[in-house]
Amino acid sequence: MTTIDTSNELTLDTSYHSDNFLTHSRGILSWLFTLDHKRIGIMYLVAVLASFFVAGMAALAVRTELMYPGQQFLSQEAYNKMFTLHGAIMVFMVIIPSVPAALGNFVLPIMLGAKDVAFPRLNLLSFWLWIFGAVFFVLSLLTGGIDTGWTFYSPYSIRTTLGGAEISHWGGVAPALLGVFILGFSSIFTGMNFIVTIHRLRPRGMTWFRMPLFLWALYATAILQVLATPVLGITVMLLAMERVFGIGIFDPRMGGDPVMFQHFFWFYSHPAVYIMVLPGMGIISELISVHSHKHIFGYRFIAFSSVAIAIFSFLVWGHHMFTSTQSPLMNVLFSAITFSVSIPSAIKVFNWLATMYKGAISFTTPMLYALAFLFIFTIGGLTGLHLATLASDIHLHDTYFVVAHFHYVMMGSALIAMLGGLHHWWPKMTGRMFSEFWGRIGCALVFIGFNTTFFPQFMLGSKGMPRRYWDYSGPGWDPGVTALFHKYHMISTLGSYVMAIGFFITLFYLLHSLVAGKRAPANPWGGRSLEWQCPSPPPHDNFKVQPRVGDCYDLSVVHWNEQLDGYEVRPDLPPHAPAHAAGGH
Amino acid sequence: MNGAMLSILKLMLAQTAATAPAAAADNAIKAGPVMTSSPDQSTWSRFWFEPGASTFSHEVDFVFSFITWICIFFFVLIVVLMLWFMWKYRQRAHEGASSQITHNTPLELTWTIIPLILVIAIFYVGMEGYIKLRRAPSDSYVINVTGQQWSWAFQYPDGSSPQDLYLPLGRPVKLMMTSNDVLHAFYIPAFRVKQDVVPGKYSTIWFQPDHEGTYQFFCAEYCGKDHSQMAGKVMVLNEADFEKALAESKKVPEGSEVELGRWALDHIYPRCQSCHTLNGSTSTGPTWKGLYKRLSEQGEVFADGTDLKNEIGEGKEYSVLEEYLRESVLAPQKKTVANYSASAMPTFQGVLKEAQIRAVIDLIKHLGEIVDDNGKPIGEAK
Repeated sequence: MTTIDTSNELTLDTSYHSDNFLTHSRGILSWLFTLDHKRIGIMYLVAVLASFFVAGMAALAVRTELMYPGQQFLSQEAYNKMFTLHGAIMVFMVIIPSVPAALGNFVLPIMLGAKDVAFPRLNLLSFWLWIFGAVFFVLSLLTGGIDTGWTFYSPYSIRTTLGGAEISHWGGVAPALLGVFILGFSSIFTGMNFIVTIHRLRPRGMTWFRMPLFLWALYATAILQVLATPVLGITVMLLAMERVFGIGIFDPRMGGDPVMFQHFFWFYSHPAVYIMVLPGMGIISELISVHSHKHIFGYRFIAFSSVAIAIFSFLVWGHHMFTSTQSPLMNVLFSAITFSVSIPSAIKVFNWLATMYKGAISFTTPMLYALAFLFIFTIGGLTGLHLATLASDIHLHDTYFVVAHFHYVMMGSALIAMLGGLHHWWPKMTGRMFSEFWGRIGCALVFIGFNTTFFPQFMLGSKGMPRRYWDYSGPGWDPGVTALFHKYHMISTLGSYVMAIGFFITLFYLLHSLVAGKRAPANPWGGRSLEWQCPSPPPHDNFKVQPRVGDCYDLSVVHWNEQLDGYEVRPDLPPHAPAHAAGGH
Repeated sequence: MNGAMLSILKLMLAQTAATAPAAAADNAIKAGPVMTSSPDQSTWSRFWFEPGASTFSHEVDFVFSFITWICIFFFVLIVVLMLWFMWKYRQRAHEGASSQITHNTPLELTWTIIPLILVIAIFYVGMEGYIKLRRAPSDSYVINVTGQQWSWAFQYPDGSSPQDLYLPLGRPVKLMMTSNDVLHAFYIPAFRVKQDVVPGKYSTIWFQPDHEGTYQFFCAEYCGKDHSQMAGKVMVLNEADFEKALAESKKVPEGSEVELGRWALDHIYPRCQSCHTLNGSTSTGPTWKGLYKRLSEQGEVFADGTDLKNEIGEGKEYSVLEEYLRESVLAPQKKTVANYSASAMPTFQGVLKEAQIRAVIDLIKHLGEIVDDNGKPIGEAK
């Protein structure tokens, strides 16, 4: 905080550096024990993408099994393990850490003009805790697998023996619960680190209302992580003690209450939904503004709506339990409060649209992901209304309608936003540009595949297909119903293959860009927040001098510069004047 | 805008009413146990639902449609604006935006307040419907339902316990439900009702079927291996047929042991099929193929180390093999076969009558002689 750059923003050296955080030190140990937030962010990214690959493969197995009625290639037990693996890894190891831990770690300190997060050692510890927790998850798979679903509902999770022979109480569920417990600590530490960093390391001039909206979203998320995750930790510990030592807490056979588990579980897991989607919304605010080259519309409304969502999210957990034997009065109250979450979400969508109005929209890959997000999040958000409404939720609860809804929000919104952010900051992280052509193709395939996979599931659910079903035929099934459900399952499975192709294309061109991509300029898209004012990739300690801060969304001073092959911030130029016409760099 | 929405909604409902008589006539011709019986199937509702068949279902479909039209309005609004802006304001040659407007408070308040009014309306409509669902009429016909991994048992006031859920047309019915093991949920999509079934407590749900026909029930709360096989038939019958069906279900036909076994295959075995196969493949419980022969000739080693062949005979635990089989139905935890889960098999005490247990034993005993409807031995058909 002592050195303030008093010169013009222009003087920041933005040429490609041979000494950057990637080349700063060499060897595997220099990565594993790094305190550099950028390297930790990249290690998270690799770990998250690897988990995404595993859980995605499980999803393809599930979809393939459901393509036709009857058994295809998975037994009931294998199927149940497969969807549990998919759900648990996607939630705990992909979506929750993807934006805050991977992208957030990389971007947050640079956006603040800081050298690192407030507690770099704690940051490394959270990464290692994450790896440790992930190991327990893998261990649980090796010791027999888990077949409880990611929700671990009791008393099934206490009694499950995986269909047949009794297995040790230590096997399967218990190590998975320990894994969740440890992953939870990783999440809490990251949240604490971000809160302190945002409070203490903002540069002079960056008031709360001059922070990029991505930081507001990360801040709201961090508060949720710190306040809600301990409840999950306690809950899974109680469950593990019950399973291993037979202490009666949730199992009625031992005097426990299974519905209490659901209260405990959703008290964390509903806020967790916003831990997943809020950072994504923050990314979208950045993407739409930068790639429309226009000031974000309604900054305060967007910032406050992030905070409002964070607060409301603690008060709505009961809407997961409308059919659980919770009292009708509670159901009515939870339904009413749930609707309050829809308002800040609606505000964000309209503000994003208004940001595009009179912008100069460039259809870069990150922007295509942002537009895909807008489309998908609108559907995901609106179908939430059907589920918040008591009369219709009773019918739709635990059907494919719910599956479709939360995939529209979790995958179609949170994960698509993460991909948008990944493409947006890829040049910054790697110093390389990816192929725009293949980027657009990949995005289009993911978008088409996603909607083909999940839209039919809305119909499947409203027609009565329950979720977590290994099959939709059998002695108790009417053949007419089986034939009806089959049509939708078929379309859905084909869609998932298209989506998988899209993801593989994305993986390949991103990897390809690392070796053959064009060198990235400091500011390829035209952003004005601080990360675009340090070189790509950034040097080890980000900024030599702490940069000066203006309104990071006032993009009228950002001009294209032919020599740089990128944008630059030139407050001395009149708006819209190309930089090269006025003398260039 | 609210008014406009309502008029669109009314228009949709008018269209529904117009198509109703034709559908009803069509329905009268198609008899038999197919999943069509409700006359209110417009193209709109066919897109989303299977026909509803309870008084509650029409209410839910209305609420669903009400919300869906609001959603469609906003979805179209947002996507059309998005596409229009994408076209009109596309960037040409690295130019900047033509405006850097930062906010417009009245506009933002507008799109805060309008959705707020709409969601209050949606909440109210949904709450009203739900409260009706929770208030069962005092003269409801009560059926006890017990869920267990992985079958349902229904017990009627007259003592009958049929395999399918028979319901009287036009009478309010209340289900009193509990579970023997883990969480389940009883779900009848055609009635648009669902309720979790929790071990250690009773939960209830009520409905009034208003169309004769056959529908599907499911388990909607994940409960393990054969969660997807806890499905079965709901049959809505007029009062006379209802009484007849209940009386029928109580009767065990007279006949030879093979004939009784054949009857048990259709009427009792569906409750056993999720754990006991007939074709020799392993499942949660021992297969019934060749079981009787094996037990009588080789015996069986139990989890407690004892062997069945030492337990049968005068003065021993069981006088005849049939006595052991009967005990396995009524008190399955007493002797568990080694390597099988002791907790998997529920008791059928009070669920099956003595004559029905007899028929199940006949099915196990004469499995090799029983043929299915196509004349094939049943062990090979599966």
